[in-house]
Amino acid sequence: MYIYTCEPNLEAMLSCIYDAWTSKRGHKNIKLMLEPVEQLTLFDEYIHVDADSEKVEKVMDAVNMKISPWFYRQLAYSSMAYEEDVLDNMYHCMILGFHHGPDALGMVQYADIMRHNEIRKRLGNEVNRFQEVLRFHQVGEVYIAHFEPKSRIAIALGPIFEDRMPSENFVIVDDIHKEAVVHHKDAHFYMYKLSDEELARLLQTEEENDSYTDMWKVFFDTIAIKERTNKKCQDNLFPMWARKHAVEMN
Amino acid sequence: MFEIQEELSLDKKLEILSDAAKYDVACTSSGVDRRGQKGMLGNSCAAGVCHTFAADGRCVSLLKILMTNHCIYDCKYCKNRISNDVPRATFSPEEICNLTIEFYKRNYIEGLFLSSGIIQNPNYTMEKMCEALRMLRMEYHFNGYIHVKAIPGASEELLYSAGLLADRISINMELPTQASLEKLAPNKTMTNIIRPMNQISQTIASHRLAIGKSAKMERAGINQKLTHSIFGNTVDKIEGGSSLFLPAERKDRDLRRPFAAAGQSTQMIIGATDETDLELIRTTQSLYQSFDLKRVFYSGYIPINEDDSLPEIGTPVPLLREHRLYQADWLMRYYGFFAEELLSEKNPFFDQKLDPKCNWAIHHLENFPVEINKAPEEVLLRVPGIGPTSVKKIVSARRYGNVNFEMLKKMHVMLKRAQYFITCNGKMLYRTPIEENFIRNQLTDTEKVSVMKIEGQTVQYKQMSLFSDFGLKAGG
Ligand code: SF4
Repeated sequence: MYIYTCEPNLEAMLSCIYDAWTSKRGHKNIKLMLEPVEQLTLFDEYIHVDADSEKVEKVMDAVNMKISPWFYRQLAYSSMAYEEDVLDNMYHCMILGFHHGPDALGMVQYADIMRHNEIRKRLGNEVNRFQEVLRFHQVGEVYIAHFEPKSRIAIALGPIFEDRMPSENFVIVDDIHKEAVVHHKDAHFYMYKLSDEELARLLQTEEENDSYTDMWKVFFDTIAIKERTNKKCQDNLFPMWARKHAVEMN
Repeated sequence: MFEIQEELSLDKKLEILSDAAKYDVACTSSGVDRRGQKGMLGNSCAAGVCHTFAADGRCVSLLKILMTNHCIYDCKYCKNRISNDVPRATFSPEEICNLTIEFYKRNYIEGLFLSSGIIQNPNYTMEKMCEALRMLRMEYHFNGYIHVKAIPGASEELLYSAGLLADRISINMELPTQASLEKLAPNKTMTNIIRPMNQISQTIASHRLAIGKSAKMERAGINQKLTHSIFGNTVDKIEGGSSLFLPAERKDRDLRRPFAAAGQSTQMIIGATDETDLELIRTTQSLYQSFDLKRVFYSGYIPINEDDSLPEIGTPVPLLREHRLYQADWLMRYYGFFAEELLSEKNPFFDQKLDPKCNWAIHHLENFPVEINKAPEEVLLRVPGIGPTSVKKIVSARRYGNVNFEMLKKMHVMLKRAQYFITCNGKMLYRTPIEENFIRNQLTDTEKVSVMKIEGQTVQYKQMSLFSDFGLKAGG
């Protein structure tokens, strides 16, 4: 088996798909994996691929024109997922897409499509969850939020919060993948890769509570009806992993 | 009346006025999609966003507060009634605006839910509420979600303003009959509730038509596929009085906002009076049909006041009953059921042990099993364990080949419930008899866990007490 590996970002992933595709080694003899590869196997050959803008463009064009722009957007979205097999799955969905056209994503009779849908659903839930539980702290003129997602979804939160607060300065920091959405008042957001030092400095901002955080806690405690207390229900609806930065829970 | 107000800090006021507002169940921020705009704060998402879950498991989406908990009325079930000795407070419009804006920017909430006790008279109260909302929209440029309570008895002009400033407007019916109202809310009348409800619904419809939409509110997509549903034909209309539209007040008309784009809703208290479930869901159905309400909410009565005409303090909140009513409400809104199919004069209460859809199915076994690969959408929708999303997935998958049980599982069909009612390619999942008692027992067992979840801590799992019941030591 030939195993193509790359860093977990869209450009590298598309380049990796390009190399695998054009290798002519036969789809059955190829596997694609994200780095870091946890467990190396003895009899497989590993081929590392770097991001290459020419390859990226070729794959983008092929998918957009021969399948459909919608199909491309679906693949690009799922590339944020943390699942180990996401890259391999993208590759196989693409093969099906070239064969059946954009409808391929509805053909749940294929295990690869079923898997794609599963990943999509989980990823969508993760994005929705952080859309709900992101908490901003006011630091001077800027609102800063920290979060710790499993998948690299900061880029999906960018447009959501830009639409919500178009005329505010805000930063959304992914503490795990060390990247941030940076939004200046009335401008378009951009993505920013953080150095360890920058991250450490940003992390301090979370310590700063203001009076509205305290009032939010008052509100949160008061709004529950004591006669209806149902901890189990609360735990079910609000899982522990999502609570870490939700100030009202701490 | 407001003498102590001066001394209260903002967080104390917030504590008093959110505590007083918490019995209103509506907290959704749903019903309208609105993009953000430069220079303003906020947008709105039709699906609604829950920002957190309180200790009672309820979703928190809006800053739910009263403008004031002073009240000249004496509704027996209410904590804020004039005859109660409770701490009172009033927010200024600026305080309401600041709290909303600052909470919103921190992503705590989707918007504001503003209700109020009645000060001086309904008009004065509604005017003050509109003043706060006007300030929030015009001076603070808030473009997020607002749900406002209409004060029964307020003038038509004020109701019109409220509808233009907010996204959703609601008038609480609280009790479904005039007799119950007289008993528990002596200052309110059915006419004072129904009349504005009707006017609001007509005004929403005319605003919708004016911008090229259909007169009636959008319903879940699945309803378009149903030939038969409560939203189809409007029979059984509640009489809403003669005057149709609310007159426009000049200053707020210039806002150029749609009138209550997220529609109108109401709430009924469950268990304070002796209406049957059938009466409640029939009323619900006619409210949807007559006034095109977006939602009807139920609120299990929580005894807070000592009163001969009310359940005693300490009476458990009828959570399971409330849950069954919500399930029935969903069946009417999304599954094409009518109230009369779910309950009858002979059987006017829901079976607490079984959800209403399963209950319907086991009384109509002649319709089952249905073949997943052939049945039309409205038939699939009536199968227990299959919801609108699964129906969509099944129908989409059928276009490319056969669907089997494995695929159903992946589509999140609840086979535990559905298996007794379906075949895939002519075969049932297991060889089970299609027989009422057998299926009832199986389903009641499946339902036990969810019943326990709803009743929270009051019910414990049987297995857990097994050891102590028999004096055994765990692991010993
Ligand atoms: S009008 Fe009735 S329900 Fe409303 S606050 Fe006053 S007493 Fe309570």
